[in-house]
Amino acid sequence: MKNKIKLGLLIALIASGSMFSANAQDANDILKKMDAVMYSPKDMTGKNKIILIDKTGKEEVREATIQQKGNNKRMFRFTSPSSQAGIAVLSLPDDVMYLYLPAFGKERRIATSAKNQNFAGTDFSYDDMESKPFAEKYTPKFVKVEGDVFVLELTPIGKSEYSKVIVGVNKTNYYPVSTEIYDKGNNKIKQAKYTFKKVGNYWNAEEIEMTDLKKNHKTKMQMSEIKYDSGLSDDDFTVRKLKQ
Amino acid sequence: MEKIAKSIIKFRWLIVTTVLLLTIFFGYQMKNISINSDIFSSLPDSDPAASLYKQIGEEFGGNNMGLIVLETNNVFDKEVLEHIRQITDTLKYIQGVSTVTSLTNIIDIKSTEEGIEVGKLVDEYNLPQTQEELDSLKKYIFSKDLYKGSIVSEDGTSTVIVFTLFQDVDNKSVANEIRTKILTLNLPETTHFGGMPMMLDDISNLILSDIIWLIPIVFIIIALVLFLSFRSLKGVLLPLMNTAIAIIWTLGILVMAGYELTIISNIIPVVLLAVGSAYTIHVLNSISLNKLVDRKQALISALTYIIIPVILASVTTAIGFLSFVFGSYLTMIKDFGIFTAIGTVIALILSIFFVPALISAFSMYSKTIKTDQQEKESVLSRVILKPLVNLLFKHPKYIFITWVVFIALSIGGTFLIKISVNIADYFKKDNETRISEDILQQKFGGSAPIFVLFEGDMQSPEVLETMIKTEKFMKEDQFISFTQSVADLVEQMNDAMGEGKKIPDERAKIEQLWFLLDGQDIMPQIVSDNLDRGIIQSRYGSSKSADINKYLERMNGFIQQNSTEECKITLTGMTSVYMKINDSLVNSLFSSLTIAVIMVILIVGVILKSISKGVYAAVPIIATIFLLFGCMGVFGIPLDIATVLVGSIVLGIGVDYSIHVITGFNFFMKVNNNDVASAIEKTILSSGKAVIINVLSVAAGFLVLIFSQLVPLQNFGILIAICMIGSGTGALTLLPVILILVNRKRKIIAK
Repeated sequence: MKNKIKLGLLIALIASGSMFSANAQDANDILKKMDAVMYSPKDMTGKNKIILIDKTGKEEVREATIQQKGNNKRMFRFTSPSSQAGIAVLSLPDDVMYLYLPAFGKERRIATSAKNQNFAGTDFSYDDMESKPFAEKYTPKFVKVEGDVFVLELTPIGKSEYSKVIVGVNKTNYYPVSTEIYDKGNNKIKQAKYTFKKVGNYWNAEEIEMTDLKKNHKTKMQMSEIKYDSGLSDDDFTVRKLKQ
Repeated sequence: MEKIAKSIIKFRWLIVTTVLLLTIFFGYQMKNISINSDIFSSLPDSDPAASLYKQIGEEFGGNNMGLIVLETNNVFDKEVLEHIRQITDTLKYIQGVSTVTSLTNIIDIKSTEEGIEVGKLVDEYNLPQTQEELDSLKKYIFSKDLYKGSIVSEDGTSTVIVFTLFQDVDNKSVANEIRTKILTLNLPETTHFGGMPMMLDDISNLILSDIIWLIPIVFIIIALVLFLSFRSLKGVLLPLMNTAIAIIWTLGILVMAGYELTIISNIIPVVLLAVGSAYTIHVLNSISLNKLVDRKQALISALTYIIIPVILASVTTAIGFLSFVFGSYLTMIKDFGIFTAIGTVIALILSIFFVPALISAFSMYSKTIKTDQQEKESVLSRVILKPLVNLLFKHPKYIFITWVVFIALSIGGTFLIKISVNIADYFKKDNETRISEDILQQKFGGSAPIFVLFEGDMQSPEVLETMIKTEKFMKEDQFISFTQSVADLVEQMNDAMGEGKKIPDERAKIEQLWFLLDGQDIMPQIVSDNLDRGIIQSRYGSSKSADINKYLERMNGFIQQNSTEECKITLTGMTSVYMKINDSLVNSLFSSLTIAVIMVILIVGVILKSISKGVYAAVPIIATIFLLFGCMGVFGIPLDIATVLVGSIVLGIGVDYSIHVITGFNFFMKVNNNDVASAIEKTILSSGKAVIINVLSVAAGFLVLIFSQLVPLQNFGILIAICMIGSGTGALTLLPVILILVNRKRKIIAK
């Protein structure tokens, strides 16, 4: 009887302890689950609307179709404005990227040795656009639970222009809700807000809003007409396809 | 006048208390005093060159540009590169810094076998390490005009890190933070700081230390001269106290009116010390010369006599200062004019009201009354004034001719005057900032930003072609070592697409090349958001007016030929603004001098009821001004924002001597039945002393500026001192000689 009470207490303690300290969940675990949510579809196609908002509030809209296979093959094809229609960017594994400019009728490989460069006028750097799992890029540390969000502090593995990234992860569904990016001077330089929505079996980032705090410039990436697992093949991600 | 004098004595306690309270009040205001060393904030907004320069600064962020030079044996060394990266990062994270461009983060468009790369010259996270990598970087950099001589010196021993500040930041504190943070990195290479924000920070510091060091020295020197002249404590204390109060009031009003101290207005205290003490000296002199035994009555009578000449003297001085308000282009010179004029009037009011009130309130009358005999036997009279009078009457023509020769020589010297508006010239040669500027000029094409603005469709092939053509034309100037514009980038991108280094002939191609340029850090610095304006950025490597003039002329010719409706070209930059200031200095010199001369002649003429006497009074001072410009030409003292002030200031102060001489002459003519000879003798013997003391104290006061750390202020001090001696001598020699010579032809009669 006495022992049972002790055991009960112990269980209660452990249970309550795990409630307070999500460390039991382990920061690594949370991050891996987040990666899983973000990168679980085999492939994806959809429409992408990029809205650039400058500090005066002026908006500029670009539209593109997007195809993605796994987390390392992606084709971006701009459809508007007309001056950029047809421009396509193909990303392949190992930082190989190709650009196609229809006005020249030529493709060129783009080297991005400096991945902190912004992608095509947006506030996303090539680094931010990369679909590489977070767990491979960062070492997480658990910070706190805030409402229904786990807050993790991520420290880059290897060289990066960031000193840390604070990410908020939805507690029940493990999709990211926000990121705050700090430079080496420990100034918050960028922040992103994510809106996720369930499409079929997967969680989809319906909108990502990235703000460059230094430039006071914002980019919204909105996804629509999403289709998952439609059976894209590697042939859909070739230079030949790029030029079509 | 007597009425005023009596009321002053009657209300002495009221006056003393009021002055005391006001002084405490204004002194309290002075705690909010601040320094603004930015000459560019002094450019009037109405001026097109200045407003375009400011506007470009706001739109493209390029005009508030600072530079750090890193000097070593060889820049292409892995440690040096690491240090460049450290400096770049440090700057990037300082609040207020808008952009940083250095070897480790500059944009680079490479076209390789593999394809195209728009990125950085080196990967800052993976800097070249091996000798091979370093050598290939060196080879690459020296193969590109964009880098050679603009970011790495041609000899490969130094590199420059260029940064710009946001327009609305506190320049001084950011510059200070930059200097401190970079110095605490403790790098083994030599670092030099240059560019406008750094220079302005330095100037502010120098202004502050000048104020702290120089003003007490001026006080001591003037006190010494006063003591030697009056040999009484009262003679030292009263003038000094009076001017100190005038300075406190003036600065208090300046702060309350929302003004800041500038590189020029920091000499207001020195000017007021030198000028303001004169009025008290004349009042004291008049009191001590009065021989009535009833000292209270003597005070009233002395005041009655002196009020008019002192008012005249100060009003003419104030006019000299006020002439800047109408004649000048830089607002800081206008402000200087307004506040020195206010200070002069305050000093006048104090010397008429406060000094006598104080004397009578505290019964500070002289114990002894000097007799005529004692006066005549003073050293000054015996050694200088007496022989002077003899000389004047013996050789009036020779004296006159001597002056004419001097003036003729001076007019010749005038043609040698140089103008200097380059801020680097304001520092002494051994000043760290000056050294930095010299290095920047020798190795990196200077620190003076220049811009060519293009208004038109920035994606049209024609506009971009015109930009390229303009850049080629600019680079023919030996002082322009590099240029940068969006057209360059488009050309390089086109090359990378395999179509050759030229602007594509189709707009569609340009639009698509833009896709890769969009979002690059450099873009907002060279092209406007809505693509209707773009600039060529460059720096100009000479600060010589002749070079700048030639450059501006060439450019203006080019612009006239190439600017069209579709592509409007405008030139601006530091050089254009410098030339504008340059021209404005000459203009303001002439207009302020003309205004001052006319006003002085009129005022003296009206009060003495004779325009011809007004003209006589103006002759010595006009002669002095010729002398001034002659000296500037012969001794190579340039016309700059401080020396441009000398003419009108000298006119205002120097004419006082002539006024004292001519009013004295008028007075003694009346007393002595129009006997010119005896009137002149008496005038020189009585006014001569005050004039000489005043010349000495003013000259000594201004000469202290020799110890200033800013070159224009040094020159300013020397020139004023020379002019004081010139105008004093003129009043005591040229003016009497003119009176003697005129009288020989046509009897002068006092009215």
